[in-house]
Amino acid sequence: MAKILIVDDEEGIRMLYSMELQDEGYEVITLPDGRELLQVVDREHPDCIVLDIKMREYNGLDLLQQIRRRHYDLPVILNSAYSSFKVDLKAVAADYYVVKSSDLSELKEKLKIALETRIPPE
Amino acid sequence: MKFIEDNPNDVTRADIVVGIPSYNESSSISFPTQQADKGLVKYFGRFSSAIINCDNNSPDGTRSAFMETDSKTPKIYISTKEGVTGKGNNLRNLFAKAAELSAKAVIVIDADLKSITPLWIRNLGEPLLEQYEFVAPLYVRHKYDGTITNIIAYPLTRALYGRRVRQPIGGDYGFSGNLAGIFAEWEVWNQSVAEFGIDIWMTTTAMRNRVAVVQSFMGRSKIHKVKDSLAYAEALFPDVINTIFELMCRYDGFWKDVKWSRPTAVFGFGSGEFEVPPQVEVETKRLSEKFSQGLGKFWNEYNAILTTQNMNKLQEVAELPFEGFEFPTGLWAKVLYDFAVAYRNNVIPRDELIQVLIPLYYGKTLSFVLETQAMNNQQVEELIEDQCLQFEKAKPYLVERWFSG
Repeated sequence: MAKILIVDDEEGIRMLYSMELQDEGYEVITLPDGRELLQVVDREHPDCIVLDIKMREYNGLDLLQQIRRRHYDLPVILNSAYSSFKVDLKAVAADYYVVKSSDLSELKEKLKIALETRIPPE
Repeated sequence: MKFIEDNPNDVTRADIVVGIPSYNESSSISFPTQQADKGLVKYFGRFSSAIINCDNNSPDGTRSAFMETDSKTPKIYISTKEGVTGKGNNLRNLFAKAAELSAKAVIVIDADLKSITPLWIRNLGEPLLEQYEFVAPLYVRHKYDGTITNIIAYPLTRALYGRRVRQPIGGDYGFSGNLAGIFAEWEVWNQSVAEFGIDIWMTTTAMRNRVAVVQSFMGRSKIHKVKDSLAYAEALFPDVINTIFELMCRYDGFWKDVKWSRPTAVFGFGSGEFEVPPQVEVETKRLSEKFSQGLGKFWNEYNAILTTQNMNKLQEVAELPFEGFEFPTGLWAKVLYDFAVAYRNNVIPRDELIQVLIPLYYGKTLSFVLETQAMNNQQVEELIEDQCLQFEKAKPYLVERWFSG
């Protein structure tokens, strides 16, 4: 059972995603911002992170770079209400960019692909 | 591989090496040499470094143009023997020299670059002093610049090897001294690699060896000598595609188990500059003519190479009028996969097979241009990402065809 970490400053989003993804069979943990993100990743070893971008004093794109430096191949899906951040070069480091919607089909599809992604070990 | 060397400062060690491969670049090599020198002094002053021109015994005075360029960084000239040409051969000499100098980081830049700044040296070199071993460039590019990259090299290498390197044949790179050693010893080498195939060979070998790859933002377009982008693409095409297909044959044990793809880290934010890339014009009528002529000339070959289903689909595409012309990416991915299988199986001689692919490449380029005429560069990037996903979704088709004989 894959473990998904949801990072979003909106409680409603965290609750919705938790319910829907748990229904899909995932284990879900959530964070309201980036303050303890790296410690939680080190402790909980999520299989994928769904990361909001605009979170009050935290910028998801900057958090993404921090994650990438420490966890080269950890899947991260950027999830934002704004499509405009796609033009930001920092977004290249994310596996996928999904614009927020009440319909979570695209998020679920990209999550499935991110978890299936495999590069064989040496 | 033996080479000729001129090392007037008797450099025996260099932590950072900037290599500039060349052939007949006497009129252009001074500028990138100066920029490399400025970059090394400004960003890597605490390290020992050298700038190495790896040449093919150019008869036009490249050697003296390089050696006479003012620089604080010591310069070394090395060359293949007379009569031996090819960027790949130049870089093979560079790999050996970098090992001799115990280089930690090797940066390669083209000798005819007009848009390089000292920041490029930092952005291609600094990640190598951290945990990364291969640095690929991220240029600002016009949507019609780099069609081989956009339509073939990027989607195909991403689907095969599972790593998203947006510009796998950019031409300017960084790699660790360790990776240079791997490159020097790697047994997969042929004439295409020795020529223009070297760029895709390095990127693919880095991905195949699962080294940590980063993409570094250059902030500007790559501006060099190329005038006619279509003619330039046609010159590169055989070596690039031959190398991609040859490496597919060698690495099939690896790529068959790759599913989907992963991003790389990105470096070089706050590069200061973000220029609008120069306009690239594409002659759509010329592309259409080349596509149609090729279809007429090579129809029998396409019948031998493509599956019946894909041939039928190609026929449908061929019958489309210019105004509504479209070459669907799903079909294009399968066409490339069919060509790769045919290459492996020597259905027709390999050199001929690559030539036969060219008109279809023109057809897909035409389709891409027509589809994106009203799009800005960001919209085109999103389209390319969608197209890459289609290549990845079609991968099981390739695996099934490849391994069922």
